[in-house]
Amino acid sequence: MTVNFTKGEINIKYFLKNMVYTVIINTGIAFLLSLVHIADSFPKAMVISHALGICIYTIMISLFWILKPKKKIFEMLIVAIGIVGGILTGWAIASAVLPRFLSIPIKTPEKDFLQTVTLGIAFGLMCSFFFISKEKLKLSNELIQEEKIKRLAKEKEALQANLKMLQAQIEPHFLFNTLSNILSLIDTDPIKGKTMLTDLTHYLRTALSRTRHELISLDQEMEMIRAYLNIIKIRMGDRLEYEIRLPEGLRSHVFPPMLLQPLVENAVIHGLEPKIEGGRLSIIVSETEQSLKIEVIDNGLGLCSGHEYGVGITNVRERLHLLYGEKGHLRLEENRPNGLKVSIEVPA
Amino acid sequence: MNPKAILADDEKELRLYLRSLLAETWPELEICAEAANGREALEQVEAHHPQMVFLDIKMPGLSGLEVAKKIAKSCHIVFITAFDQYAVEAFDREAIDYLVKPVTKERLTQTIQRLKKQLAISSEPPAGVMEIVSRVLSGLKPQAQADFLHWIKVQQQNNIRLIPVDEVDYFQAEDKYTLVMTKAGESLIKTSIKELSQELDPNQFWQIHRAILVNVSKIEKVSRSLSGRGILKLKNRPELLTVSRPYLHLFKQM
Repeated sequence: MTVNFTKGEINIKYFLKNMVYTVIINTGIAFLLSLVHIADSFPKAMVISHALGICIYTIMISLFWILKPKKKIFEMLIVAIGIVGGILTGWAIASAVLPRFLSIPIKTPEKDFLQTVTLGIAFGLMCSFFFISKEKLKLSNELIQEEKIKRLAKEKEALQANLKMLQAQIEPHFLFNTLSNILSLIDTDPIKGKTMLTDLTHYLRTALSRTRHELISLDQEMEMIRAYLNIIKIRMGDRLEYEIRLPEGLRSHVFPPMLLQPLVENAVIHGLEPKIEGGRLSIIVSETEQSLKIEVIDNGLGLCSGHEYGVGITNVRERLHLLYGEKGHLRLEENRPNGLKVSIEVPA
Repeated sequence: MNPKAILADDEKELRLYLRSLLAETWPELEICAEAANGREALEQVEAHHPQMVFLDIKMPGLSGLEVAKKIAKSCHIVFITAFDQYAVEAFDREAIDYLVKPVTKERLTQTIQRLKKQLAISSEPPAGVMEIVSRVLSGLKPQAQADFLHWIKVQQQNNIRLIPVDEVDYFQAEDKYTLVMTKAGESLIKTSIKELSQELDPNQFWQIHRAILVNVSKIEKVSRSLSGRGILKLKNRPELLTVSRPYLHLFKQM
């Protein structure tokens, strides 16, 4: 990977911040050198070290700033120029400053210069390594962060799409059969027809307008389910019996919309409607200390009615997972003596 | 003699509605019976030998199309559908009579005109309807996929729990039993790996070992061990599975 300094945006703030690092490193080097007696004295080591370090740093950063190298080879070149240029200017400054301001004479220029060169190269390489790897780290952190954001956005998108899809699923069979019934009831039993139309309106309004609500009350969800089942009850007549058991205390409990509805519709469409003698549907809500449990039980055809059953349930399961993670459960069981029992469990 | 017809729809109100519409548009038509499901429809046709049947497509027991396949040679059929796009397209193409719900008087009148014309020419129903219905039926059937196992039934205390195969990470043989490994935990079933490998979709589950069937969509990566066997890492699972040599070809690079 090439280090792209331009991505890290070199500006005055960046320059000054890293200058502080440079000064700290310089001081460290000076300490070290005087400690192991390579340098004659600490002040001398300090001056040389700082002169060199600051020059190398300034030249290198300026070149990176101006040239914005994209290729590794150019980066290396800039590092080399920085080191050589820094040593020469740094040495010039140090040899001017030392005798004049600190009265430290340069006794053996050749030896001192050689020392300085070694020092400069070591410092330059160290610094370049330090800065470049810091930059790399920052860059890869940014990449990871970007990936993370992308992933989260994707998940959110999936959740939204999933919800939208579920909501858009107003079954055309259901709609047109219901409309036919209403049309007929207008002649035969207008009052019943009116009730059915009211229920259909309620069902459609809720099904179509829930996009923006992330949570509703259990009572609201059950009202929609009741409207749906009232309609089905008129259509199926004696073939359908149903009950909804929602304890008083749980009526206002919040619940995500469209988790329960698909399960109820599944039970009707795949379990009870295709069964000649019809059957019974129970929706039972209960609560334990940690969780809320809703069971949808039918004594219809069960799973023999084919794999279509799976799609709706898989959708609900995915949504449950996206909403509650590991804490949301969906269980399928065979109901005795026949039919299916689907239960949802979510944290209370 | 007045023509006879049978009405078959699982919804009582809709039979009533059609009956009243027919009384208005074709007063001479005698409705000799009604049927609330496919089987009843068949029985009534056999009992009354009507000239025509108004047949709802979606009925419990036998669907209207399945009934039609059996009676197309003995009487005229008018299909009724709320929304079966595929069937409707086919009916349009093949000029087969059908009504959409809610049935309107105009459409019903048109259909009756056609029926009357056909009956005037011959009391025999038009030929070829059975073949067309068979074609529609085979087009409607979910493809081969439906034949594979979709659910694993697991006995848990007194209940039988159903696990969708999509959720299974892998199956592993364990003595006489098979372990079903899912994210939620593991369960034991009596079906052997060999039986499972025949019942599951081979594109979804690969056998990677004498004792292991793995869900392909759960594989994260495959690496090679020093001994030349494959090592499988699954998504969200800590354990590694071994791919034995006879199955390594499954993971050859594409």
